[in-house]
Amino acid sequence: MLLMTGIDKRFGGVHALDHVNFAVRPGKVMCLAGENGCGKSTLVKIISGVYTRDEGEILFEGQPIHRITPADATRLGIQVIYQDLSIFPNLTVMENLAINSEITANRRIVNRKRWEQTAREALSKIGYEIDLYAKMGDLSVADKQLVAICRALLFNAKLIIMDEPTTALTKKEVDALFKTVRQLRDSGIAIMFISHKMEEIFEISDDVCIMRNGKNVYSGPTSELTKKDFTYYMTGRELVDNYFVPTNISKEPVLKVEHLTWKEKYHDVSFDLRKGEILGITGLLGSGRTELALSLFGLGKVDSGTILMNGKPVKITSPIAAQKLRIGYVPEDRLTEGLCLQQPIADNIMLASLKQLTRTLGTIRHDEVFEKSNEWVKTFSIATDDAHKHASTLSGGNQQKIVLAKWLNNDLDVLILNGPTVGVDIGAKQDIHALVHDLANNGLAVIIISDDLAEVVVNCSRVVVMKDGAIVGEMTGDEITEENILEVIR
Amino acid sequence: MDKAKLKRMTRRTEFYMFLVLILLAVIVQIKSGGRLITFPGIFTRLNTTVLRTMVVDGMFAMCCLVVMISGGFDLSFPAVAALSYSLATTICLNNGWCQTSPLAGLLLAAAIGWVLGMLNGWIIANFKLNTMIVTLGTQTFFTGVSMGLLALKEITSTLPEGMKAFGKAFLLESADPATGIRFTLSAMVIFLVLLCAIVSFILNKTMFGRALYAIGGNEVSAERAGYNVKRTKFLLYSSVGAVAGFIGMIRTCMESQSIPKAMVGREMTIIPAVILGGASIYGGEGTVFGTVVAVAIISLVSNSMLILGIDTYWQQFFNGLVILVGITVSALQARRKH
Repeated sequence: MLLMTGIDKRFGGVHALDHVNFAVRPGKVMCLAGENGCGKSTLVKIISGVYTRDEGEILFEGQPIHRITPADATRLGIQVIYQDLSIFPNLTVMENLAINSEITANRRIVNRKRWEQTAREALSKIGYEIDLYAKMGDLSVADKQLVAICRALLFNAKLIIMDEPTTALTKKEVDALFKTVRQLRDSGIAIMFISHKMEEIFEISDDVCIMRNGKNVYSGPTSELTKKDFTYYMTGRELVDNYFVPTNISKEPVLKVEHLTWKEKYHDVSFDLRKGEILGITGLLGSGRTELALSLFGLGKVDSGTILMNGKPVKITSPIAAQKLRIGYVPEDRLTEGLCLQQPIADNIMLASLKQLTRTLGTIRHDEVFEKSNEWVKTFSIATDDAHKHASTLSGGNQQKIVLAKWLNNDLDVLILNGPTVGVDIGAKQDIHALVHDLANNGLAVIIISDDLAEVVVNCSRVVVMKDGAIVGEMTGDEITEENILEVIR
Repeated sequence: MDKAKLKRMTRRTEFYMFLVLILLAVIVQIKSGGRLITFPGIFTRLNTTVLRTMVVDGMFAMCCLVVMISGGFDLSFPAVAALSYSLATTICLNNGWCQTSPLAGLLLAAAIGWVLGMLNGWIIANFKLNTMIVTLGTQTFFTGVSMGLLALKEITSTLPEGMKAFGKAFLLESADPATGIRFTLSAMVIFLVLLCAIVSFILNKTMFGRALYAIGGNEVSAERAGYNVKRTKFLLYSSVGAVAGFIGMIRTCMESQSIPKAMVGREMTIIPAVILGGASIYGGEGTVFGTVVAVAIISLVSNSMLILGIDTYWQQFFNGLVILVGITVSALQARRKH
């Protein structure tokens, strides 16, 4: 259906796409995989007409395409569903569905009846039902996505490009999405699915094209690819699951939680944590795992129960109190909760330890901030040439390292990591995991909160499973397998 | 009416604002001893004054509303209006126009406003700048042009006769039965009703209106959906300029005087009113009905104070309260959604 050969694109000195070849077959799902910044988005923008290519040939349904604008792409039957879904949260579902075709038809006057008809037609394409007059912003991400898919189908789409569609979805929602994708595939539509999540790619795709640094390093049927090969192609290095082996567990627990309850969120939670341990807390969304962490860091409520630090009962009423007790917390959404993106890397690293870096009058010793940050940049091999640059210039994995550095700069006893590698690609993920292992073996007590079971299995020496606000299982050592965890979660 | 519809209605700000308006009206009616509405005559000195005050504020609020729906802020409309009517009146006076009909003055003011609006639109659309900053700049600039560059003077008793007469035109005349004081219902109310109808039609029934909502909701998506965002914004700001100029001239006629400085700071009472009426400070939300209700509330309260024996100093207090309540409610609603 779509055949691209020798596509080349440069932005100034950057060779964004280096003679990329790839093909999408009708009625098949093709995955475009690669880590952040490998050129995936550039390629998509060339197909959809946002960018023009410097070199190379594009054949769509056998016809060569020379210049293409976004409107041409739509006319040919190419539809892109962007990561942000391009929806209008303030308008109704009906308007969201109909507005594109109304604009394309160059209408001037609004005819509600026609809009409603268009909207119903769109929904009927995948047999999806929803209140047409509901406000788009009130829908769940999964529903928004289905609306976006329906809208794309209105244009007799032959090729649908989905840009990282699963990012904000729960496992259940991903399953539902995949069902729809298969349904579309079976009706003869070609799907191009962009992702960096290995499990998903193996589950949904027929063909896969892996890109690295602007080149496609593999393209072919997914069935001929092993997971090991896949990781190699993605990262350019052999990655082995690096299981955590605790070497330095203390006798006495540093943190002990007894019968902790936050009435609306979780109840009667008890566990302990030793130095040198990595404790995993896992469970589905809404199981209370995040709320538990918030309580331990003074951001959530504690209705009853006790927290003991080094054997002494403590009250953690604010993040400042938590820091005084040497507890650190890296939030789930590092971008909004953990980082000031428009501030220099150095300032971000030192943010939680400015007290040590001020003179008598409270002014900051900037040279020292910079010096210390540079040490962290080196230790964590953060990919930057200048710690004065804004944190926003870094990739997700490197941003996560900054947040880690920020907390480690204060001497900590307990570090709580909530979803430490959400949105981070495989290579950087491995780096962060290795880093955390080192920290634990150097005597830090770590809690990893995650719903990424593979992550929990690889990194934790002990796992606590939560469900509906209560602990439903605890495992250590060899008992920790994805199957065992799943059994208790369900 | 089905349940879902009712539920959607009760979730809107303007529904509650409407209830507040009714409640206020009832209070004023009782406290003033039935001076808000009489039967069967309906119109009284008080309610015609309320309507009269609403004409200019209400029309300005319409300008504000459309801009806010598109996710922008226009701080310059009072300055645009002031420069337009001052210059237009001066030109009319110097040429001896508008002796019988105000038409030339109205068209001239609208044309001047349109040019000024185009400047706003051009800067905002082309350079993709923050609308609040741009209009804050043009506001000061326009005032500077009016005061310094053109040195426009106050025109009071010498105002062209045609304008004076037009401003005094009324739809009905009556006398207060208790005091015998004459009152009229200004014909300018027609312009308010017309503008509200036109804006309502544009917002709900034209693709241009839906484009404003779409841009206010998500500008990137609007562009991807195929809207010409640049052209839409230019059209929006230039039209708002023309309408502001027109409103300015209506005001000049109603007040029988053209004072270049009269509009300074007006945006700071109009914008909160629009927000109170349910428009979101983040764009994408807002209705004509809600805006009219909010303007009516403010006009009713400020005009009823004397009658109810409340010191007029409280008007400031009340206006401040409106700003705080309006903006807080809008921000909280937006936060709940995110």
